Amino acid sequence: MLKLIVQRLLALVPLLFIVSVLTFSFTSLLPSDPVDLIIGDAGTQEQYEMVRHRLGLDEPVHLRYLQWLGRAVQGDLGTSFFNSVSVTGAVMQRLPVTLSLTVMSAIIAIVIGVAAGVAAALRPRSWIDRFATLGATFGQAVPNFWFGLILVAIFAVNLRWFPATGFTPLTQSPWEWLRSVILPSIALGTSSSAAIARQVRSAMVGVLQQDYIRAARAQGLPFRRVIFRHALTNAMVPVVAVLSFQITVLLGGALIVEQVFAINGLGTLAIGAVRQQDIPMLQGLVLVMVALVVAVQLATDVIYGLINPKARPS
Amino acid sequence: MSIDTKTMPQALPSGRRRPGGAPVLIGIAVAVLLLLALLAVFAEWVAPYDPLRQSLMEALQGPSTAHWLGTDDLGRDVLSRLIYGCRIAVIAAAEATTIAVLLGVPIGLFIGYRGGLWDWIVMRIVEAVVSIPGIMVAIVIIAILGAGLHRAMIALGILFSTSFLRLARGVVLAEREEVYVRSARVVGASDSRILMRHIFPNIAPPLIVQVTLTVGAVLLAEAGLSFIGLGVQPPQASWGTMLNTAAAFMDFNWFLSVPPGIAIILTVLSVNLLGDVLRDSIGRGIAVDADPRAPAARYAAELPATAASAPVPRRDDEILRVEHLQVMVPGRAGGEVPVITDLSLSIGRGETLGLVGESGSGKTLTGLAILGLLGAGVRATHGSIELNGRDLRTLPRSGLEEVRGNEVAMVFQDPTTSLNPAFTVGSQIAEVLRVKQGLGRRQAWARSVELIDRVGIPRPAERAGAYPHELSGGMAQRVAIARALSCNPSLLIADEPTTALDVTVQQEILDLFRDLQDEFGMAILFVTHDLAVAADICDRVGVMYAGEMVEMAGVDALFADPRHPYTSGLLSAMPHASDRNPPLPTIRGNVPRPGTWPLGCRFADRCDFRIAACDRRIPLTGSRRQVRCVRAGEPELEAAS
Repeated sequence: MLKLIVQRLLALVPLLFIVSVLTFSFTSLLPSDPVDLIIGDAGTQEQYEMVRHRLGLDEPVHLRYLQWLGRAVQGDLGTSFFNSVSVTGAVMQRLPVTLSLTVMSAIIAIVIGVAAGVAAALRPRSWIDRFATLGATFGQAVPNFWFGLILVAIFAVNLRWFPATGFTPLTQSPWEWLRSVILPSIALGTSSSAAIARQVRSAMVGVLQQDYIRAARAQGLPFRRVIFRHALTNAMVPVVAVLSFQITVLLGGALIVEQVFAINGLGTLAIGAVRQQDIPMLQGLVLVMVALVVAVQLATDVIYGLINPKARPS
Repeated sequence: MSIDTKTMPQALPSGRRRPGGAPVLIGIAVAVLLLLALLAVFAEWVAPYDPLRQSLMEALQGPSTAHWLGTDDLGRDVLSRLIYGCRIAVIAAAEATTIAVLLGVPIGLFIGYRGGLWDWIVMRIVEAVVSIPGIMVAIVIIAILGAGLHRAMIALGILFSTSFLRLARGVVLAEREEVYVRSARVVGASDSRILMRHIFPNIAPPLIVQVTLTVGAVLLAEAGLSFIGLGVQPPQASWGTMLNTAAAFMDFNWFLSVPPGIAIILTVLSVNLLGDVLRDSIGRGIAVDADPRAPAARYAAELPATAASAPVPRRDDEILRVEHLQVMVPGRAGGEVPVITDLSLSIGRGETLGLVGESGSGKTLTGLAILGLLGAGVRATHGSIELNGRDLRTLPRSGLEEVRGNEVAMVFQDPTTSLNPAFTVGSQIAEVLRVKQGLGRRQAWARSVELIDRVGIPRPAERAGAYPHELSGGMAQRVAIARALSCNPSLLIADEPTTALDVTVQQEILDLFRDLQDEFGMAILFVTHDLAVAADICDRVGVMYAGEMVEMAGVDALFADPRHPYTSGLLSAMPHASDRNPPLPTIRGNVPRPGTWPLGCRFADRCDFRIAACDRRIPLTGSRRQVRCVRAGEPELEAAS
């Protein structure tokens, strides 16, 4: 298993390198000069040169890249152009918020998706099968932020069961945290759960026709055990293979759904940074998101190796 | 919403059937999109108000006769804004999709055709881009270009170009090595000519499908970007900006969020539905299912309920006794079709009964019927299956689960598929011991290593930790046999257990069965189509044809003196080591499919000895030696065999 992890980590090096080059180079693509943004219209040539030197912009581009990368690896993503706060600090402050939504919605998506997928596979053409298919079709067409608005309208504005806006940190009050993330997570996770259900269903239908399922039942193993241990383990192989994509989608979706619930997460930070052309902030956000995606990929790769012995390096 | 290109359904044929073929739904989808187009073109004439006309006196009203869908925070007419939003949606979809195609397809064609370093660099960049959440990619591009409808659509165009790039590249990679492309190259056609003339036409079909999928994704993405204020800018009316307004005034008029949401959903659903239909018709060609024609008039799917076959004589050492078993499968044209009828057999302690016959004669189903594992829709409708004196057909599921493994177990044809690929072989045996016999974890493992040793696998402790794919076929079959015998069943059903193995391994496995039978004393129901194997291992042999037993006898008697013309035919089609090259006689025709069986003797159409009496239903007659033929014992038949 360690070998698998090391192998996967090594495979990520070119990806991370290219992402870092892309992220770094988009500074020079921006239409505005960052120095002008900082000193404003009233700045003198002297001030201009001073800021330029302080930002290191007078050095050759490859040196700047290496310095930036070196600091980024140590966790220093620079300073916001706009209000001089540390990018790392700002991102880390918002990260738990967005992660709460992503993790919670992923749990909802996986639990509902797997349960519905298995149920649908066991009873093809039953109401739950039709419902899952219908849900998947709709899930692809319903904007998750709109679904969030509708949930707010029903459960927050009319029924008043949940707060319509805001976020309570988990450390402050687990119960209030749950109340604050449940609606956005449902809004986010539902369409993914339908997609997962469809994948689980088709994988499960295939697995249930395999000889080893019949053999396990011929051996007198209880039906539930055969379904949940023998069949589901194998049916999850193709599902886990695409799970990291689903979680990446949830992470992206969280940026928008946060806006519905006025939750101050990475999405709000990113939108503000775009408006203010805050380059270091955007660079930091992209890097952190890629790191998250890579971590999720690694985790799913390990799970994939666990349930699929053929994928392990021998 | 799927703003990410990689979660979008891919246009290449996926083999997955999706609903969406209903003509009514397609009609609705086309109507919705036509309406959208008309509203977009004629917005000025259709909309009751100017979408930008403010009237603060009428702000945040609900639906009324003056404003069918109410008004927003600035008193603007929601219906009018919705209609003008159609125009934005059409422009957005057209712009972003066009950019994505124009950017993605040429680059994809180029790198796919050239390969090498260009391909490597571009694909690594594409991988990097798709590993970032799509919305974040769009946000970064908008940071460079600035917000606004057209700029946001350029951003989405760049984002979605990755899926067109991969699609074009994939097609080129597949086509580049095709013979006609290679020969065009040989005769000296230029690269651009090959790309345009030979490769591009192959991209068109999946491209069309991908375009529809992209249009749906773009509509959702545009709404999302406008919703967070990075797409269409106020006061311009788009469905996304309308939802932005709705979100801000949720507490005052939540209805504001409904009309734009419904508009988005209806449009995207319609586009996706058309995409599905296109994919089904283009991606797969027109799949014509074989016509399930009704059986011809002189054949009957249903059978006379009564069969006057002689009862199987009871024996003292009887383990299994099957009487008048009938099994039905769902028919292709509805209803049920019999696949096994009037099947009776018995097996004594330590005896090996062979079931032989061509494929489709119902041998395997007989084995599965005994285990109660016929599969979805298939069911035993008549008869009894007595194992150790208990009728298994009357047992509830839990009772059957109790019996399986403990009293009867099964070895399947293909050992590489009958072991679960996810678990080690040792754990699969140990699991049975733990669940069925309540052994502890360590005890069960030790016992499974013993069993693996017993079936003749060297280094058993090490092999117990192996996964099925790490074992050879013969080795895997030994493991499967060890698992089947782990609870010491009184009956082992072996379904063609040597068919999938190498000839040299076959004999070893047959020897293993014999050894184990001596030691464990179980009875074996040995299903095989190979008469030589049956002659080698069986005590008695039953011959099946078209779902019924046609002859049953001791192995020596059957081979020396076959009484049914079908048995004779099978025997004469058997190769003998002694005669060198005489062509093997074959039985003309094929086994009739279930549902097309003749009403009388089912073999009659292939039989050389057919007489008028064969058109009636024929019972199985005799006691120790049984045969289902009206002419059995006649000199003419005897002479022929």
